[in-house]
Amino acid sequence: MGIVIAVISGKGGVGKTTATANLGLGIALNGKKCVVVDFDIGQRNLDMILGLENRVVYDMVQVMDGDANIKQALIKSKVSPNLYFLAASQTKDKSVLSSNKVEKLITDLKEKFDFVILDSPAGIESGFEHTIEFADAAIIVVNPEVSSIRDADRAIGILDSKSAKVKNGEEVLKWLIINRIVADMVESGEMLKSEDILDILDIKLIGKIPEDKGVIDASNQGKPVVLDKKSIAGQAYTRISGRLCGQKIDMQNVEISDSGLFKRIAGIFR
Amino acid sequence: MFSFFNFGKKKSASVAKDRLTIAIMSDRDRTNGYPFMDEMKAEIMDVVQKYVGVRGVEIRKEIDGEIEALAIDVELDKNA
Repeated sequence: MGIVIAVISGKGGVGKTTATANLGLGIALNGKKCVVVDFDIGQRNLDMILGLENRVVYDMVQVMDGDANIKQALIKSKVSPNLYFLAASQTKDKSVLSSNKVEKLITDLKEKFDFVILDSPAGIESGFEHTIEFADAAIIVVNPEVSSIRDADRAIGILDSKSAKVKNGEEVLKWLIINRIVADMVESGEMLKSEDILDILDIKLIGKIPEDKGVIDASNQGKPVVLDKKSIAGQAYTRISGRLCGQKIDMQNVEISDSGLFKRIAGIFR
Repeated sequence: MFSFFNFGKKKSASVAKDRLTIAIMSDRDRTNGYPFMDEMKAEIMDVVQKYVGVRGVEIRKEIDGEIEALAIDVELDKNA
């Protein structure tokens, strides 16, 4: 029986879909069977990030409605035999999801995969609620920026009130990813430090991702940045994926820039 | 040199932290509403249940400027 992880944010555009794709692939590269599901009905994007947009035949709504079976709809990744993808429907009608159907889909996927990762739509409307309802854990993605953090707090609040696990008196696991950290700005006091963000949101950190041009380059090509061994964001996703697979990997301080690090080392010899 | 220019001026990250702390505290107050929310939910559920099947009740406190309101959603159970 696999674990179901919803990737959520509150505000849009913080890197949720990128995180979903990279964590899914990172986990698959660790040898675990993983499926990533795009729950952003009407705004299918995960297929592009994964480079699988031409392979989509059936989407998850067709599976839920019984118009296609799961085997037909699951798309195998080109880069890892352990990674599968289930596309969002491009329908404009967001009310196509219902709790019963979502629960059945997730139960089916849990039986087949070690990890089921759900890419949530932005905002805190019904699509979001359906994504979190049957999740065992949530990864909250924020940028070190006020609106993203505030909206994340609201999303966490809804997670705590709508999660089926919480309603059953259990705990839903919550992990924070701080994305797009600019080390220079943190050093000069122009960007919130990760400790401050953790203080405010009061949840557990699972990883920090530095700002990296490689992320856009990767999405241009449909090859998740986790494949790029030289990319600092890619390396951060590799570490987070390892942590999710139960490895003990120390948190790296991505909030020190190379020049800052140099100053610090220079300081030792002064 | 850096500290010379910034002397006496608060760094924007610490301004952000202060503003966020306050905004989030007030957000949490509004969404959590009153301590008697759960009890009230249960009572509303009982009342509606006399007439029609109910799956759940959701109550939110909404504040829009001077106006405060309770938004109550009652989800019906079609099978009941």
